[in-house]
Amino acid sequence: MFKGTRGYITYGLGFFVVLEIMLVAAVYWWPTFEENLPSIKAIAAPIQMLSDLVDQVDQFGVSGYIVGQHFFKGCSALGTAAAVLFAANSVAGEAHRGTMEIWLARPVSRTRLMTERWLGGLFVVVAPVFLTSATVPALLGMFDKTMDMSDLMRCSLHMGGFLAAIYSVSFLWSCLSSEPMRISFVMLFLSVMVFALYLVEGVTHYSLYRLVEIKVFMRIITRDAMDWPLLAPMLACTVLAYGLSLRAFRRRVP
Amino acid sequence: MSRWVTYHPMTALAPAQAASPLPTGPGGISVCALEHRFGTTQALHRTDLEIPAGGVVGLLGPNGSGKSTLMRLLTGLVPLQQGEITVDGVPMSGDGLPIRRRTTYAPGELHLYGELKGREHLRFLLRGRPDDSLDRARSIAGDLGLPLDRRVREYSHGMKRQLLFAAAIAPEVPIRILDEISEGLDPAKRSQVLDLIDADAARGTTILLSSHHLGEVDRSCQRLVFLNAGRVVADESSEEVRRRAGRLVRLRFAPGALAPGSASALEGPGVESVEELEDRVNVMLSGDDPRTFLGRLAGSAGLPAPTSVEHGRISLGELYRSLYGVEGT
Repeated sequence: MFKGTRGYITYGLGFFVVLEIMLVAAVYWWPTFEENLPSIKAIAAPIQMLSDLVDQVDQFGVSGYIVGQHFFKGCSALGTAAAVLFAANSVAGEAHRGTMEIWLARPVSRTRLMTERWLGGLFVVVAPVFLTSATVPALLGMFDKTMDMSDLMRCSLHMGGFLAAIYSVSFLWSCLSSEPMRISFVMLFLSVMVFALYLVEGVTHYSLYRLVEIKVFMRIITRDAMDWPLLAPMLACTVLAYGLSLRAFRRRVP
Repeated sequence: MSRWVTYHPMTALAPAQAASPLPTGPGGISVCALEHRFGTTQALHRTDLEIPAGGVVGLLGPNGSGKSTLMRLLTGLVPLQQGEITVDGVPMSGDGLPIRRRTTYAPGELHLYGELKGREHLRFLLRGRPDDSLDRARSIAGDLGLPLDRRVREYSHGMKRQLLFAAAIAPEVPIRILDEISEGLDPAKRSQVLDLIDADAARGTTILLSSHHLGEVDRSCQRLVFLNAGRVVADESSEEVRRRAGRLVRLRFAPGALAPGSASALEGPGVESVEELEDRVNVMLSGDDPRTFLGRLAGSAGLPAPTSVEHGRISLGELYRSLYGVEGT
């Protein structure tokens, strides 16, 4: 796929629409969920991790429900897929289809070419998280509920940091490879496996999705502050992966 | 003899200038002790090359000989491992951006963004060039008959090649590096492309042209550099190559008619070498005039009558196998 500015906007818009549809559906079912919460708790009780999730929603009300549905479920699951797929194609895709030579042959520095591509993909993956989060207050208004916009933006920033780290690691691999399909399969398999680990008691602490669970977002909301001990390593990982990608890209042969 | 087929000396073709050993400066290319390795494969052995400003230099050689690697090294597409490259007086360093600003490059491999329209693709290819380059490229593409409003995926092989050519010839730069630029073009389009290359060279642009096509090389290039297995095996003016080609006589015989070793009967005064290849014999004359040799051939009792005799009309591969002992394309 050709990734001009128009392409980035199109893909970003597509991801926004998917996330927004999921968010609208989640908000629409909030009254039903609230009404059936006792039954849901009873169903989730045998599985400790599920039970914990439902308890958190019960504890924090609509805010817990929204961060669970939108950030923990929608953005982290779909966002991971979008980040991996977009990053895998970014450089390896050019090599795979043979267009890398005409991409690199122009009088534009490699640093600029790679940074543009990296930022473009990051925009596609992260911008829809912020945009969809910005629509939450209006959607909740339908049920006379609300969430503070600054809380939502802080949560979006945290979520964006998580996705940026996954995106950047996949991008680094893309800079070293010519097989986008392999990158996509392996990274998606790992993501699903790590997400599955989250639901298994005893090993849940090994899951990266602990970084974006409901408790984390609710801590950000209740403290009115970013969770820097969690966010900083994710941002550091992003910066490190970007630097390594740049190093690899400068030595890249068409 | 059953048939006298051709007497078409290449020396009758357009006159050429001999390569002049000018020191490389603005507009020139200098390669010093250049080596390159892909993993365990030595793609380019120690290579030294001086190309002065102006004119068309042909880079020839069989597939895998290192032509494309050399061209990619010259544009910074492949990072420099060992040796030095200076293009237009600028030494290669970093990612080669200062050199790419002074050169245009048309890759030999034909992979384009099919989803873009021709017009959009030209804009993509000419990013980083002055605005007027795009106008010129569109004008050249129009002259070549390219439908710029159609998506590139609908283009034929030749049309894609012409699109790359239009983008490579349009910017005003001192040096152009064109890899297999006329490959896949019909004779009329090839001629049109070569006319544009000739006109550009006449304005003082230095053009490094890789090709498998002897006619193209013969028409446009003033100097020929032949690569084989990553080494420069010959570097001489095209006039000299033509002169040598004009001394080559090829005799064909009916299958099985030629007894092994019998071609040695052709050796003698005026003959530099004789090469026997199954039903074919290549004879390198020591002078330009084949008449003495042909007279001796007619009187040679030890040989059957050839089915054809060709003089100065040979393929690039045969030429280089004959001249340099390496397999051509």
